[in-house]
Amino acid sequence: MTDTNSGIVKYIPGLILCIILGWLALQWDQSIHKWQKNFQESEKILKANIKDGKPFLPFAEYISKSDEKYKEKLAAFERGEIKEKPKKPHTIKENDYETIAKTKEIPFNFRFGERMIQFQLTYVAVLLLGGMLIRNTIGLPKVFQPGAVLARPIIKPGIILLGGYYLWSNLLKVGVFALLLVLVFILGTTVLVAVLGRRMKQDDGLMGVMAAGAGICGVSAAVAVAPVVNAKPRDFFYAVGTILLFGTVALFTFPYIGKALGMSEPVFGAWVGTAILNTAQLVAAATWYGHDSLLTANIINIVRVGFIPIVVIFCIWFYVIKKATTEGKDQKINTWQVIKDKFPLFILGFFAMVTLNEFGVFTEEHRTIFGKQFLQIFFAVGFAGVGLNIAFDDLKKAGGKAFVIGFIAATLKAVLSAIVVMMIGTDAFKVK
Amino acid sequence: MAETKEFEDKAKKVFSAERKEDIWVLILSAITVILGLTGVITPKTFSSLFF
Repeated sequence: MTDTNSGIVKYIPGLILCIILGWLALQWDQSIHKWQKNFQESEKILKANIKDGKPFLPFAEYISKSDEKYKEKLAAFERGEIKEKPKKPHTIKENDYETIAKTKEIPFNFRFGERMIQFQLTYVAVLLLGGMLIRNTIGLPKVFQPGAVLARPIIKPGIILLGGYYLWSNLLKVGVFALLLVLVFILGTTVLVAVLGRRMKQDDGLMGVMAAGAGICGVSAAVAVAPVVNAKPRDFFYAVGTILLFGTVALFTFPYIGKALGMSEPVFGAWVGTAILNTAQLVAAATWYGHDSLLTANIINIVRVGFIPIVVIFCIWFYVIKKATTEGKDQKINTWQVIKDKFPLFILGFFAMVTLNEFGVFTEEHRTIFGKQFLQIFFAVGFAGVGLNIAFDDLKKAGGKAFVIGFIAATLKAVLSAIVVMMIGTDAFKVK
Repeated sequence: MAETKEFEDKAKKVFSAERKEDIWVLILSAITVILGLTGVITPKTFSSLFF
Protein backbone atom coordinates (compact mmCIF):
# COMPACT_ATOMS: atom_id res chain seq x y z
CA MET A 1 0.00 0.00 0.00
CA THR A 2 2.81 2.37 0.95
CA ASP A 3 4.57 1.41 -2.26
CA THR A 4 1.52 2.23 -4.38
CA ASN A 5 1.07 5.55 -2.62
CA SER A 6 4.70 6.58 -2.95
CA GLY A 7 4.42 5.43 -6.60
CA ILE A 8 1.63 7.91 -7.24
CA VAL A 9 2.99 10.65 -4.98
CA LYS A 10 6.31 10.80 -6.81
CA TYR A 11 4.54 12.02 -9.95
CA ILE A 12 2.67 14.89 -8.27
CA PRO A 13 5.40 17.61 -8.03
CA GLY A 14 6.46 17.28 -11.68
CA LEU A 15 2.86 17.14 -12.85
CA ILE A 16 1.98 20.28 -10.87
CA LEU A 17 5.06 22.02 -12.31
CA CYS A 18 3.92 21.14 -15.86
CA ILE A 19 0.37 22.37 -15.13
CA ILE A 20 1.75 25.69 -13.80
CA LEU A 21 4.11 26.12 -16.76
CA GLY A 22 1.30 25.18 -19.13
CA TRP A 23 -1.03 27.74 -17.56
CA LEU A 24 1.62 30.49 -17.69
CA ALA A 25 2.31 29.75 -21.35
CA LEU A 26 -1.40 29.77 -22.21
CA GLN A 27 -1.80 33.05 -20.32
CA TRP A 28 1.07 34.44 -22.43
CA ASP A 29 -0.60 33.06 -25.58
CA GLN A 30 -3.97 34.61 -24.71
CA SER A 31 -2.31 37.97 -24.02
CA ILE A 32 -0.27 38.16 -27.22
CA HIS A 33 -3.26 37.10 -29.32
CA LYS A 34 -5.43 39.75 -27.64
CA TRP A 35 -2.73 42.40 -28.21
CA GLN A 36 -2.37 41.32 -31.82
CA LYS A 37 -6.13 41.73 -32.37
CA ASN A 38 -5.91 45.15 -30.67
CA PHE A 39 -2.99 46.02 -32.95
CA GLN A 40 -5.03 45.22 -36.06
CA GLU A 41 -8.01 47.17 -34.73
CA SER A 42 -5.77 50.12 -33.79
CA GLU A 43 -4.37 50.19 -37.33
CA LYS A 44 -7.92 50.41 -38.70
CA ILE A 45 -8.83 53.19 -36.24
CA LEU A 46 -5.74 55.21 -37.13
CA LYS A 47 -6.31 54.76 -40.86
CA ALA A 48 -9.95 55.82 -40.63
CA ASN A 49 -9.32 58.86 -38.45
CA ILE A 50 -5.99 60.20 -39.72
CA LYS A 51 -7.11 59.93 -43.37
CA ASP A 52 -9.84 62.57 -42.93
CA GLY A 53 -7.66 64.86 -40.85
CA LYS A 54 -10.68 65.46 -38.63
CA PRO A 55 -10.59 65.07 -34.83
CA PHE A 56 -10.98 61.49 -33.55
CA LEU A 57 -14.51 60.17 -33.15
CA PRO A 58 -15.62 59.98 -29.52
CA PHE A 59 -15.33 56.46 -28.05
CA ALA A 60 -19.12 56.00 -27.80
CA GLU A 61 -19.50 56.80 -31.49
CA TYR A 62 -16.71 54.34 -32.40
CA ILE A 63 -18.56 51.58 -30.52
CA SER A 64 -21.96 52.40 -31.99
CA LYS A 65 -20.53 52.51 -35.56
CA SER A 66 -18.95 49.12 -34.99
CA ASP A 67 -22.29 47.75 -33.69
CA GLU A 68 -24.14 49.15 -36.69
CA LYS A 69 -21.77 47.46 -39.12
CA TYR A 70 -22.23 44.15 -37.28
CA LYS A 71 -26.02 44.44 -37.37
CA GLU A 72 -25.90 45.17 -41.10
CA LYS A 73 -23.78 42.06 -41.71
CA LEU A 74 -26.06 39.97 -39.50
CA ALA A 75 -29.12 41.13 -41.44
CA ALA A 76 -27.34 40.26 -44.71
CA PHE A 77 -26.60 36.79 -43.29
CA GLU A 78 -30.24 36.32 -42.30
CA ARG A 79 -31.30 37.31 -45.81
CA GLY A 80 -28.94 34.67 -47.15
CA GLU A 81 -26.62 37.16 -48.85
CA ILE A 82 -23.64 36.02 -46.76
CA LYS A 83 -22.87 32.32 -46.20
CA GLU A 84 -20.98 32.54 -42.89
CA LYS A 85 -22.53 34.01 -39.75
CA PRO A 86 -20.55 37.19 -38.93
CA LYS A 87 -18.59 37.23 -35.69
CA LYS A 88 -19.04 40.05 -33.18
CA PRO A 89 -16.52 42.76 -34.09
CA HIS A 90 -13.43 43.18 -31.94
CA THR A 91 -13.26 46.58 -30.27
CA ILE A 92 -10.57 48.04 -28.05
CA LYS A 93 -11.08 49.39 -24.53
CA GLU A 94 -11.90 53.05 -23.86
CA ASN A 95 -8.56 53.96 -22.25
CA ASP A 96 -6.63 52.38 -25.13
CA TYR A 97 -8.79 54.26 -27.61
CA GLU A 98 -8.13 57.54 -25.78
CA THR A 99 -4.36 56.84 -25.79
CA ILE A 100 -4.40 56.21 -29.55
CA ALA A 101 -6.44 59.37 -30.12
CA LYS A 102 -4.00 61.40 -28.04
CA THR A 103 -0.66 60.00 -29.27
CA LYS A 104 -1.76 58.92 -32.79
CA GLU A 105 0.38 55.85 -32.20
CA ILE A 106 -0.29 52.18 -31.55
CA PRO A 107 0.48 51.32 -27.88
CA PHE A 108 3.67 49.33 -27.21
CA ASN A 109 1.97 46.16 -25.89
CA PHE A 110 -0.16 45.88 -29.04
CA ARG A 111 2.94 46.19 -31.24
CA PHE A 112 4.71 43.66 -28.99
CA GLY A 113 1.87 41.14 -29.41
CA GLU A 114 1.93 41.57 -33.20
CA ARG A 115 5.71 41.01 -33.27
CA MET A 116 5.53 37.89 -31.06
CA ILE A 117 2.91 36.32 -33.35
CA GLN A 118 5.07 37.19 -36.37
CA PHE A 119 7.95 35.27 -34.77
CA GLN A 120 5.53 32.41 -33.93
CA LEU A 121 6.42 32.71 -30.24
CA THR A 122 3.12 31.15 -29.18
CA TYR A 123 2.59 28.86 -26.18
CA VAL A 124 4.13 25.95 -28.09
CA ALA A 125 7.47 27.72 -28.62
CA VAL A 126 7.49 29.20 -25.10
CA LEU A 127 6.97 25.78 -23.49
CA LEU A 128 9.44 23.89 -25.65
CA LEU A 129 12.20 26.50 -25.59
CA GLY A 130 11.53 27.45 -21.95
CA GLY A 131 11.44 23.83 -20.79
CA MET A 132 14.63 23.00 -22.65
CA LEU A 133 16.32 26.09 -21.22
CA ILE A 134 15.31 25.18 -17.65
CA ARG A 135 16.41 21.54 -18.06
CA ASN A 136 19.82 22.43 -19.50
CA THR A 137 20.75 25.46 -17.39
CA ILE A 138 19.44 25.37 -13.82
CA GLY A 139 18.46 21.69 -14.27
CA LEU A 140 15.31 19.84 -13.27
CA PRO A 141 15.50 18.65 -9.64
CA LYS A 142 14.93 14.89 -9.25
CA VAL A 143 11.68 15.45 -7.37
CA PHE A 144 10.09 16.89 -10.55
CA GLN A 145 11.46 14.36 -13.04
CA PRO A 146 8.91 11.46 -12.78
CA GLY A 147 5.97 13.86 -13.09
CA ALA A 148 7.55 15.69 -16.03
CA VAL A 149 7.91 12.35 -17.85
CA LEU A 150 4.29 11.46 -17.02
CA ALA A 151 3.08 14.84 -18.39
CA ARG A 152 4.18 14.07 -21.96
CA PRO A 153 1.36 11.62 -22.81
CA ILE A 154 -1.20 14.23 -21.72
CA ILE A 155 -0.88 15.35 -25.34
CA LYS A 156 -2.85 12.21 -26.29
CA PRO A 157 -6.28 13.33 -24.96
CA GLY A 158 -5.79 16.42 -27.16
CA ILE A 159 -5.19 14.16 -30.17
CA ILE A 160 -8.37 12.20 -29.33
CA LEU A 161 -10.50 15.34 -28.83
CA LEU A 162 -9.34 16.70 -32.17
CA GLY A 163 -11.26 13.76 -33.67
CA GLY A 164 -14.43 15.86 -33.22
CA TYR A 165 -13.28 18.00 -36.17
CA TYR A 166 -13.29 15.20 -38.74
CA LEU A 167 -15.88 13.35 -40.74
CA TRP A 168 -15.12 9.84 -41.98
CA SER A 169 -15.09 11.22 -45.54
CA ASN A 170 -12.26 13.69 -44.65
CA LEU A 171 -10.42 10.97 -42.83
CA LEU A 172 -10.62 8.56 -45.74
CA LYS A 173 -9.67 11.24 -48.29
CA VAL A 174 -6.51 12.29 -46.43
CA GLY A 175 -6.08 8.78 -45.01
CA VAL A 176 -5.43 7.29 -48.48
CA PHE A 177 -2.47 9.67 -48.94
CA ALA A 178 -1.43 9.09 -45.33
CA LEU A 179 -1.38 5.35 -45.96
CA LEU A 180 0.76 5.81 -49.07
CA LEU A 181 3.20 8.09 -47.21
CA VAL A 182 3.40 5.65 -44.28
CA LEU A 183 3.96 2.66 -46.57
CA VAL A 184 6.58 4.35 -48.73
CA PHE A 185 8.52 6.48 -46.27
CA ILE A 186 8.02 4.99 -42.86
CA LEU A 187 8.22 1.31 -43.68
CA GLY A 188 10.85 2.22 -46.31
CA THR A 189 13.06 3.84 -43.64
CA THR A 190 12.64 0.81 -41.35
CA VAL A 191 13.75 -1.55 -44.12
CA LEU A 192 16.58 0.81 -45.22
CA VAL A 193 18.04 1.05 -41.70
CA ALA A 194 17.75 -2.71 -41.19
CA VAL A 195 19.47 -3.54 -44.51
CA LEU A 196 22.16 -0.82 -44.12
CA GLY A 197 22.86 -2.04 -40.59
CA ARG A 198 23.40 -5.62 -41.84
CA ARG A 199 25.63 -4.42 -44.69
CA MET A 200 27.72 -2.30 -42.28
CA LYS A 201 27.90 -5.29 -39.91
CA GLN A 202 26.23 -3.47 -37.05
CA ASP A 203 24.79 -5.26 -34.04
CA ASP A 204 21.25 -6.64 -34.65
CA GLY A 205 19.92 -5.40 -31.30
CA LEU A 206 21.06 -1.85 -31.96
CA MET A 207 19.89 -1.75 -35.57
CA GLY A 208 16.54 -3.34 -34.65
CA VAL A 209 15.61 -0.56 -32.24
CA MET A 210 17.08 2.05 -34.59
CA ALA A 211 15.08 0.70 -37.55
CA ALA A 212 11.82 0.79 -35.59
CA GLY A 213 12.55 4.16 -34.00
CA ALA A 214 13.82 5.93 -37.11
CA GLY A 215 11.05 4.49 -39.23
CA ILE A 216 7.86 4.81 -37.32
CA CYS A 217 7.26 6.26 -33.97
CA GLY A 218 10.37 7.16 -32.06
CA VAL A 219 10.67 5.91 -28.54
CA SER A 220 7.38 3.92 -28.40
CA ALA A 221 8.38 1.73 -31.34
CA ALA A 222 11.93 1.33 -30.00
CA VAL A 223 10.46 0.15 -26.67
CA ALA A 224 8.10 -2.26 -28.45
CA VAL A 225 10.85 -3.76 -30.57
CA ALA A 226 13.66 -3.87 -27.96
CA PRO A 227 12.72 -7.22 -26.33
CA VAL A 228 12.12 -8.84 -29.73
CA VAL A 229 15.62 -8.09 -31.04
CA ASN A 230 17.34 -8.67 -27.66
CA ALA A 231 18.60 -5.09 -27.53
CA LYS A 232 21.04 -4.19 -24.77
CA PRO A 233 20.55 -1.05 -22.66
CA ARG A 234 23.44 0.62 -24.52
CA ASP A 235 21.72 -0.10 -27.89
CA PHE A 236 18.46 1.29 -26.66
CA PHE A 237 20.00 4.56 -25.45
CA TYR A 238 22.04 4.99 -28.66
CA ALA A 239 18.87 4.60 -30.70
CA VAL A 240 16.73 6.80 -28.45
CA GLY A 241 19.51 9.44 -28.37
CA THR A 242 19.59 9.53 -32.18
CA ILE A 243 15.79 9.69 -32.44
CA LEU A 244 15.56 12.49 -29.86
CA LEU A 245 18.40 14.47 -31.43
CA PHE A 246 16.81 14.30 -34.88
CA GLY A 247 13.38 15.15 -33.45
CA THR A 248 14.71 18.13 -31.51
CA VAL A 249 16.52 19.57 -34.54
CA ALA A 250 13.43 18.96 -36.69
CA LEU A 251 11.03 20.45 -34.16
CA PHE A 252 12.83 23.78 -34.03
CA THR A 253 13.79 24.05 -37.71
CA PHE A 254 10.93 22.50 -39.71
CA PRO A 255 8.37 25.28 -39.04
CA TYR A 256 10.85 27.84 -40.39
CA ILE A 257 11.85 25.60 -43.34
CA GLY A 258 8.14 25.11 -44.09
CA LYS A 259 7.58 28.89 -44.13
CA ALA A 260 10.69 29.43 -46.28
CA LEU A 261 9.48 26.82 -48.80
CA GLY A 262 6.02 28.42 -48.82
CA MET A 263 4.30 25.25 -47.58
CA SER A 264 0.58 25.62 -46.89
CA GLU A 265 -0.65 24.43 -43.48
CA PRO A 266 -2.06 21.07 -44.75
CA VAL A 267 1.13 20.34 -46.74
CA PHE A 268 3.30 21.14 -43.72
CA GLY A 269 1.10 18.88 -41.58
CA ALA A 270 1.60 16.02 -44.05
CA TRP A 271 5.34 16.65 -44.07
CA VAL A 272 5.90 16.67 -40.30
CA GLY A 273 3.50 13.74 -39.92
CA THR A 274 5.79 11.73 -42.17
CA ALA A 275 9.22 13.12 -41.29
CA ILE A 276 9.28 13.75 -37.52
CA LEU A 277 9.77 10.54 -35.60
CA ASN A 278 8.04 11.21 -32.33
CA THR A 279 4.33 11.90 -31.72
CA ALA A 280 4.87 14.67 -29.15
CA GLN A 281 7.44 16.44 -31.32
CA LEU A 282 5.40 16.24 -34.52
CA VAL A 283 2.24 17.42 -32.77
CA ALA A 284 4.22 20.35 -31.33
CA ALA A 285 5.69 21.32 -34.73
CA ALA A 286 2.29 21.09 -36.44
CA THR A 287 0.52 23.10 -33.70
CA TRP A 288 3.26 25.70 -33.98
CA TYR A 289 2.51 26.05 -37.72
CA GLY A 290 -1.28 26.31 -37.45
CA HIS A 291 -4.57 24.50 -36.73
CA ASP A 292 -5.05 23.19 -40.29
CA SER A 293 -1.55 21.80 -40.18
CA LEU A 294 -2.40 19.95 -36.95
CA LEU A 295 -5.59 18.50 -38.48
CA THR A 296 -3.59 16.91 -41.32
CA ALA A 297 -0.59 15.85 -39.21
CA ASN A 298 -2.95 14.13 -36.77
CA ILE A 299 -4.35 11.82 -39.47
CA ILE A 300 -0.87 10.87 -40.70
CA ASN A 301 0.19 10.24 -37.10
CA ILE A 302 -2.85 8.05 -36.35
CA VAL A 303 -2.16 5.93 -39.45
CA ARG A 304 1.52 5.79 -38.50
CA VAL A 305 1.15 4.66 -34.88
CA GLY A 306 -1.38 2.09 -36.11
CA PHE A 307 1.55 0.59 -37.99
CA ILE A 308 3.63 -0.10 -34.85
CA PRO A 309 2.51 -3.78 -34.75
CA ILE A 310 3.45 -4.15 -38.45
CA VAL A 311 6.96 -2.81 -37.74
CA VAL A 312 7.32 -5.18 -34.78
CA ILE A 313 6.24 -8.09 -37.03
CA PHE A 314 8.81 -7.00 -39.64
CA CYS A 315 11.54 -6.84 -36.98
CA ILE A 316 10.62 -10.30 -35.67
CA TRP A 317 10.77 -11.64 -39.21
CA PHE A 318 14.02 -9.83 -40.15
CA TYR A 319 15.97 -10.36 -36.93
CA VAL A 320 14.55 -13.61 -35.55
CA ILE A 321 12.72 -15.78 -38.13
CA LYS A 322 14.91 -15.02 -41.18
CA LYS A 323 18.05 -15.51 -39.08
CA ALA A 324 16.73 -18.77 -37.61
CA THR A 325 15.76 -20.06 -41.07
CA THR A 326 19.28 -19.42 -42.43
CA GLU A 327 20.64 -21.32 -39.43
CA GLY A 328 18.28 -24.22 -40.25
CA LYS A 329 16.04 -23.68 -37.19
CA ASP A 330 12.24 -23.44 -37.18
CA GLN A 331 10.71 -20.25 -35.72
CA LYS A 332 7.07 -19.16 -35.93
CA ILE A 333 5.34 -15.84 -35.31
CA ASN A 334 1.97 -15.36 -33.62
CA THR A 335 0.80 -12.38 -35.70
CA TRP A 336 -2.52 -11.86 -33.88
CA GLN A 337 -0.78 -11.86 -30.48
CA VAL A 338 1.71 -9.21 -31.66
CA ILE A 339 -1.07 -7.00 -33.03
CA LYS A 340 -3.08 -7.41 -29.80
CA ASP A 341 -0.06 -6.62 -27.60
CA LYS A 342 1.39 -3.72 -29.54
CA PHE A 343 -1.69 -1.89 -30.87
CA PRO A 344 -1.87 1.68 -29.47
CA LEU A 345 -5.28 1.76 -27.77
CA PHE A 346 -5.66 5.53 -27.64
CA ILE A 347 -6.35 5.79 -31.38
CA LEU A 348 -9.66 3.97 -30.77
CA GLY A 349 -10.74 7.09 -28.82
CA PHE A 350 -9.92 9.23 -31.85
CA PHE A 351 -12.05 7.02 -34.11
CA ALA A 352 -14.90 7.16 -31.55
CA MET A 353 -14.79 10.99 -31.70
CA VAL A 354 -14.90 10.95 -35.54
CA THR A 355 -17.90 8.60 -35.42
CA LEU A 356 -19.76 10.79 -32.88
CA ASN A 357 -19.13 13.80 -35.12
CA GLU A 358 -20.35 11.87 -38.15
CA PHE A 359 -23.66 11.21 -36.29
CA GLY A 360 -24.01 14.95 -35.59
CA VAL A 361 -23.52 14.68 -31.83
CA PHE A 362 -21.20 17.72 -31.72
CA THR A 363 -22.23 21.32 -32.37
CA GLU A 364 -19.77 24.03 -33.46
CA GLU A 365 -19.58 25.04 -29.78
CA HIS A 366 -18.57 21.50 -28.76
CA ARG A 367 -15.91 21.42 -31.46
CA THR A 368 -14.46 24.69 -30.12
CA ILE A 369 -14.45 23.36 -26.55
CA PHE A 370 -12.86 20.02 -27.41
CA GLY A 371 -10.74 20.65 -30.50
CA LYS A 372 -9.42 24.10 -29.64
CA GLN A 373 -9.79 25.02 -25.98
CA PHE A 374 -9.29 21.74 -24.10
CA LEU A 375 -6.86 20.61 -26.76
CA GLN A 376 -4.73 23.64 -25.83
CA ILE A 377 -4.92 22.76 -22.13
CA PHE A 378 -3.82 19.14 -22.71
CA PHE A 379 -1.17 20.16 -25.23
CA ALA A 380 0.20 22.87 -22.93
CA VAL A 381 0.74 20.41 -20.05
CA GLY A 382 2.20 17.83 -22.45
CA PHE A 383 4.52 20.30 -24.19
CA ALA A 384 5.81 21.45 -20.80
CA GLY A 385 6.75 17.80 -20.20
CA VAL A 386 8.36 17.55 -23.65
CA GLY A 387 10.45 20.72 -23.13
CA LEU A 388 11.56 19.71 -19.65
CA ASN A 389 12.66 16.31 -20.96
CA ILE A 390 14.95 17.59 -23.73
CA ALA A 391 18.27 17.02 -21.95
CA PHE A 392 21.46 17.62 -23.93
CA ASP A 393 23.08 14.77 -21.95
CA ASP A 394 20.54 12.31 -23.43
CA LEU A 395 21.14 13.65 -26.93
CA LYS A 396 24.90 13.12 -26.48
CA LYS A 397 24.21 9.39 -26.05
CA ALA A 398 23.68 9.16 -29.80
CA GLY A 399 26.90 8.02 -31.38
CA GLY A 400 28.91 5.80 -33.66
CA LYS A 401 28.03 4.29 -37.04
CA ALA A 402 24.50 3.51 -35.86
CA PHE A 403 23.94 7.23 -35.26
CA VAL A 404 25.18 8.00 -38.78
CA ILE A 405 22.85 5.37 -40.29
CA GLY A 406 19.82 6.52 -38.25
CA PHE A 407 20.42 10.22 -38.88
CA ILE A 408 21.04 9.76 -42.63
CA ALA A 409 17.90 7.63 -43.00
CA ALA A 410 15.76 10.15 -41.08
CA THR A 411 17.19 13.12 -43.03
CA LEU A 412 16.68 11.33 -46.35
CA LYS A 413 13.10 10.61 -45.38
CA ALA A 414 12.56 14.28 -44.44
CA VAL A 415 13.96 15.63 -47.72
CA LEU A 416 12.18 13.14 -49.99
CA SER A 417 8.87 13.41 -48.16
CA ALA A 418 9.05 17.25 -48.38
CA ILE A 419 9.40 16.99 -52.16
CA VAL A 420 6.59 14.43 -52.45
CA VAL A 421 4.05 16.25 -50.23
CA MET A 422 4.71 19.55 -52.04
CA MET A 423 4.15 17.80 -55.37
CA ILE A 424 0.91 16.19 -54.15
CA GLY A 425 -0.30 19.63 -53.02
CA THR A 426 -2.67 21.30 -50.58
CA ASP A 427 -5.99 19.97 -51.90
CA ALA A 428 -5.12 16.35 -51.19
CA PHE A 429 -4.17 17.06 -47.58
CA LYS A 430 -6.78 19.67 -46.69
CA VAL A 431 -9.18 18.29 -44.10
CA LYS A 432 -12.12 20.65 -44.70
CA MET B 1 23.22 -12.02 -20.48
CA ALA B 2 21.86 -10.95 -17.10
CA GLU B 3 22.04 -7.36 -18.26
CA THR B 4 19.96 -8.20 -21.37
CA LYS B 5 17.36 -10.10 -19.34
CA GLU B 6 17.07 -7.23 -16.90
CA PHE B 7 16.64 -4.80 -19.76
CA GLU B 8 14.08 -7.02 -21.48
CA ASP B 9 12.00 -7.03 -18.28
CA LYS B 10 12.34 -3.27 -18.05
CA ALA B 11 11.22 -2.80 -21.66
CA LYS B 12 8.20 -5.06 -21.02
CA LYS B 13 7.32 -3.01 -17.94
CA VAL B 14 7.62 0.25 -19.90
CA PHE B 15 5.33 -1.16 -22.56
CA SER B 16 2.71 -2.31 -20.09
CA ALA B 17 2.94 1.20 -18.57
CA GLU B 18 2.21 2.62 -22.05
CA ARG B 19 -0.88 0.38 -22.22
CA LYS B 20 -2.08 1.67 -18.83
CA GLU B 21 -1.27 5.20 -19.95
CA ASP B 22 -3.50 4.75 -23.02
CA ILE B 23 -6.38 3.59 -20.82
CA TRP B 24 -6.01 6.66 -18.58
CA VAL B 25 -5.86 8.85 -21.67
CA LEU B 26 -9.14 7.33 -22.93
CA ILE B 27 -10.80 7.86 -19.54
CA LEU B 28 -9.64 11.51 -19.38
CA SER B 29 -10.94 12.17 -22.90
CA ALA B 30 -14.28 10.49 -22.14
CA ILE B 31 -14.73 12.63 -19.00
CA THR B 32 -14.00 15.82 -20.99
CA VAL B 33 -16.50 14.84 -23.71
CA ILE B 34 -19.22 13.98 -21.17
CA LEU B 35 -18.68 17.28 -19.32
CA GLY B 36 -18.83 19.16 -22.63
CA LEU B 37 -21.97 17.41 -23.88
CA THR B 38 -23.80 17.87 -20.58
CA GLY B 39 -22.96 21.58 -20.55
CA VAL B 40 -20.79 21.50 -17.41
CA ILE B 41 -17.97 22.98 -19.46
CA THR B 42 -18.85 25.72 -21.94
CA PRO B 43 -16.75 27.94 -24.23
CA LYS B 44 -16.63 30.45 -21.36
CA THR B 45 -14.94 27.94 -19.03
CA PHE B 46 -11.65 28.24 -20.91
CA SER B 47 -11.55 32.04 -20.99
CA SER B 48 -12.45 32.17 -17.27
CA LEU B 49 -9.15 30.42 -16.51
CA PHE B 50 -7.13 33.41 -17.72
CA PHE B 51 -6.89 37.12 -16.94
